[in-house]
Amino acid sequence: MKQRASKEEILAAIREVPLLSPSASQLLQLTSSSDHELSEVIDIVKCDAALTARLLKIVNSVAYGLVHQVTTIDRAVGYLGERMIASIALEDSAAALFHKELAGYDSPKSELWNHDLRTAIASREIATYAKQPLNQDLAFTAGILHAVGKAVLSDFLTQSSNEVLTGIDADEVSDYLAGERKLVGIDHTEAGYELAKNWELPEPLIAAIRYHHNPAATPEEHRALVYAVHLGCIIAMMCGSQASDALQYHLDQDYTKYFDLTSEQLTMVMLEVNERFDTLHNAMTDAGGEH
Amino acid sequence: MSNIILGVGEFGISKTPGDIVKTFALGSCVAVILMCPKTRTVGMVHVALPESKINLEKVKTRPGYFADTGITALLKLMSTMGCEPKGRGFIVKLAGGAKIMDPNNTFNIGKRNALSIKKVLWKYGLGAVAEDLGATYSRTVSVSVSTGEITLSSPGRSDWKL
Repeated sequence: MKQRASKEEILAAIREVPLLSPSASQLLQLTSSSDHELSEVIDIVKCDAALTARLLKIVNSVAYGLVHQVTTIDRAVGYLGERMIASIALEDSAAALFHKELAGYDSPKSELWNHDLRTAIASREIATYAKQPLNQDLAFTAGILHAVGKAVLSDFLTQSSNEVLTGIDADEVSDYLAGERKLVGIDHTEAGYELAKNWELPEPLIAAIRYHHNPAATPEEHRALVYAVHLGCIIAMMCGSQASDALQYHLDQDYTKYFDLTSEQLTMVMLEVNERFDTLHNAMTDAGGEH
Repeated sequence: MSNIILGVGEFGISKTPGDIVKTFALGSCVAVILMCPKTRTVGMVHVALPESKINLEKVKTRPGYFADTGITALLKLMSTMGCEPKGRGFIVKLAGGAKIMDPNNTFNIGKRNALSIKKVLWKYGLGAVAEDLGATYSRTVSVSVSTGEITLSSPGRSDWKL
C-alpha cells in the first residue's frame, strides 16, 4: 500500500503556498464588504499594470461583443462588474493552483478553474432566490474560491481515486470528504480553510471554503451564503465535471430554509450556468488566460 | 479518421469508419446514441434539460439542448445521410443522467431528462436496447463508428462497455 503523507506534512505544505498578489488580496477584501464604491475597485486595478492590461483584453474580446473598443479602466470595470474583476485578479494571482492538473482527482489541467467558474455562476444565480437579501457578487467570488483546497490536497492523493470511490460504493465512507480524511487525515475543505487563513481572506469567503459541503455547520451570519455555494457546487457538478469526486457528496435539504427554488427554476439556473460559462470562459481564453 | 466531440446541447453524426463520436463528463445530462444499421451511421445528442418550454429562444440556436427537441433534430440530420427519417430500425442506447447523493431526489434532473427522452423515443416507436443511467458518477461516452461499440469512462473508475 502506498505510504501517504501525514496531516502535519500537508499543513506544512500549505504554509509554503505563495501569497496572493496585493491587488487580488485588496480586491477580495474590498468586494466582500457591503460598504464600498466602484471607484475604490478602479483605484486598486489602476495600481496593477498587468491586471489593467488583462481586463482591457477581456472586455474587448470577441466573446463580449462590444461595438466600440473600451480603452479606459473605468469603463472596463463598469462593463465587467466587480465580481469579474475580483475573479480575474484571483485567477492571475493563483493561476498555478487553479489551472494545474489535479492528479489526486484524475482531473485534467484547468478543470478545477472550470468547475469553480460554473460554481460561481450558479451560486450567484441561487443567491437571487434567497428568502432574505444576499450579496450576489460575494456568492460569485465565494464560488470561485470554494474548492481551492483540492489544488493543495491533490498532490497528496495521487492514485487514490479508485480507493476512495470503492470505499464510498461499499458504504465504508459516507462521501468523498470522508474518503480524503481516511487517507490523509484531512479533507479538501479543511485544507482550503488553512490556506484561506494564510491568505487572510475575508470571513465569509473562509466560511464558504470550509463549509460548502457541510453548510449547516456554518456560523449563522454566513450560513445563507454558504448554502448558496453548496447548491452552486452541486449544480456545477450536475452540469459536468471531469474529476473523481464529481457528485460524490450529499445535498443538504435544509437549503429550503434559505432559498425558494422549484425544480423548474433549478433547470433555469442550469441553463444560465452553461450559457454564462461559455461566454466567460471564451472571453478569458481569448484574453490569454491559462486555458 | 477523426474525433467528433460534442459539447453540451450539441449533436453530430458520422458514417466514416474509424471516426469516434464522443462527449465528455455527462453529469445530469444524457447522451442519446442512435445507430442506423442500413447506412452504418452513428448519431449522438448531448441532452442537458428535459423540456424546451423554459427557453424557446435557445431551441433556435441549440435544439439538442432539450430532450423534446434534440432527438427530432438528430433524426433530421441523420435522414440527410439516407437514414429512415423517423428512425425505424435504429439501435438506440442511452447513457448519463447522474445525480447527487440525495435520498429525496429533489435535484434529480438526470431522472427527468431520462424520462423525457424515453417519452420522445416512444413517440417515434423507438426504445433503448441498452442504457446506463442514474447513479452518482459522471460519464464520458465514446462511440466507434466502425464497430458501434460504446465505451463509458469516469475518473477513478475502470472503463466499461454499453
